[in-house]
Amino acid sequence: MSDTILKATNVSKIYGKQKALDKVTIEMKRGMIYGLIGENGAGKSTFMRTIMGLLSIDEGDIELFGESGKKGLQLARRRMGQSIETPALYPELTARDNLRVQAANGGVSEREIDHLLRLMGIEGTGKKKVKNFSLGMRQRLAIASTLITNPEFLILDEPTNGLDPSGIVEMREIIQRLVHERGITVLLSSHLLDELSQIATHYGILHKGKLVKELSKEELANETRQYIELETTAVQKAVIVLDELGISDYEVVHSTGIHIYERLDDVARINRALVLANVNVTRVGTTRQKLEDYFLQLTGGTTNV
Amino acid sequence: MFNLLTAERIKLLRSRKLWIAFLIFALLPIIQVANSKMTVHYGTELVQATDTVINGATGILMMEKNGLTILLVICAFIGFSVGEEFHNGTIRNALSLGRSRTHYYLSKLVIASLLTFVGVMVMTVMGMLSFSVVFGFGEVANIPHYYWFAVKTFITLYFLLLSNASIYVMISFLSKNSSISLIWSFLYTIATGFGAGIFQQTEHFKQVTYWFTESFLFYSDFASPTDIAKYPEMLVVSLITIVVSSTIGILLFKRADIK
Repeated sequence: MSDTILKATNVSKIYGKQKALDKVTIEMKRGMIYGLIGENGAGKSTFMRTIMGLLSIDEGDIELFGESGKKGLQLARRRMGQSIETPALYPELTARDNLRVQAANGGVSEREIDHLLRLMGIEGTGKKKVKNFSLGMRQRLAIASTLITNPEFLILDEPTNGLDPSGIVEMREIIQRLVHERGITVLLSSHLLDELSQIATHYGILHKGKLVKELSKEELANETRQYIELETTAVQKAVIVLDELGISDYEVVHSTGIHIYERLDDVARINRALVLANVNVTRVGTTRQKLEDYFLQLTGGTTNV
Repeated sequence: MFNLLTAERIKLLRSRKLWIAFLIFALLPIIQVANSKMTVHYGTELVQATDTVINGATGILMMEKNGLTILLVICAFIGFSVGEEFHNGTIRNALSLGRSRTHYYLSKLVIASLLTFVGVMVMTVMGMLSFSVVFGFGEVANIPHYYWFAVKTFITLYFLLLSNASIYVMISFLSKNSSISLIWSFLYTIATGFGAGIFQQTEHFKQVTYWFTESFLFYSDFASPTDIAKYPEMLVVSLITIVVSSTIGILLFKRADIK
């Protein structure tokens, strides 16, 4: 069994003069949760659609489960599930009938329907038509619909879109459970970068159709490292105290702020030393550079991620 | 292909649009027989050449009598059925599973064919029954072998309608939108249906109009021996229309990007 689930090499998609995807290369191994990060129009959905064969590519190669070529990819796609942007459902049908349709599309039995309805917490919807569902319920049904064909590879575009905070947590747990229990590999995108950081094992940052950075969870943690944020009205006095404590890895970020990158567990001791030296501390605590800030650093500018 | 048809069956059985279409096909003959009864009641005699259906036997010509209505109902049904798959994004569910686009297109065409068949069958049976009850079964003038005539006429009329359904399927897949598909299908129906009447007045364009199946449907008398002799020609034009429109539709759909 091939360990590489997806291998996209130099994939480009051009609309007129605009390159929606510009030589994007991504490789996904089995068991990965790959988070695609990018602003609106960065090419996340376009990339996902090319993988699913909904959009043709102008350049490059796509390999799925080790299969390439038109026929090979067509067969490999039977092992995939997808939910792109808005949940694609039949509004006039019930949840059960929607799953029956997708089971028929995939040529699989309807045995799993009850289990999936329970798994997604929508078993009680009965004869209620999908058009009367909340967005959160539709999102859950869309995920259930992708699972009916028992896929090995899931593509989820904004799966937490429209969910309330508890729904987001629940969705995160469901995705993690699917990865651990069924060994499903997941490619997902989200606008909620901090949310994505709690679930993905690998990240790809797309900007204007280009993959500007690819990194693992560990690498991202290093890049967005933790530090002690100190706010004081007497920065110069505070610096002297830090030097006396033997702390050298710090940075004065502005007239009232210092970031300390070492001895992160010593916040209480540092605070006591500052107070004893009559340094007026207005705020002290550990914090982390936000994923959004890191993203902005990479893409260089304001964004609506 | 069979899997896609199974999916279509589940969707159709729950579709209100399907039952509305069948209701129109079933009720129209009853309204028409009531209308004909009133006409006769007020002293006007029914004439086959103009009224088309005047008794149970001529009820086989219900498709000729209601050609435009049937086409509009089918056009609306196909426009919504295909357009909503694009609008709701549900087309992605099947295609992203590696289902062949050709099979997907053909499954929609098969469903359109079945709907047309069941619809016109319902209408014809209801027409024959209701006109038989009110005016008696009677006969079709100058037709010696009625059953053979009935079978040939039904098949020919069905294929004439089916060829138009095939055009509607093609338009729906190309436009990817219910409203736009409805507008173009309606324009096609009106243009080839009523435009033909104008072009048939000229010697040069008369022949061209017979490459469009609606010219046969709207401008032939299916109980007249002269037009009955044209049945093979009608079938050939219908089959060519189905093959050409489906080929164009499939080729363009296979190249299309699905949003």
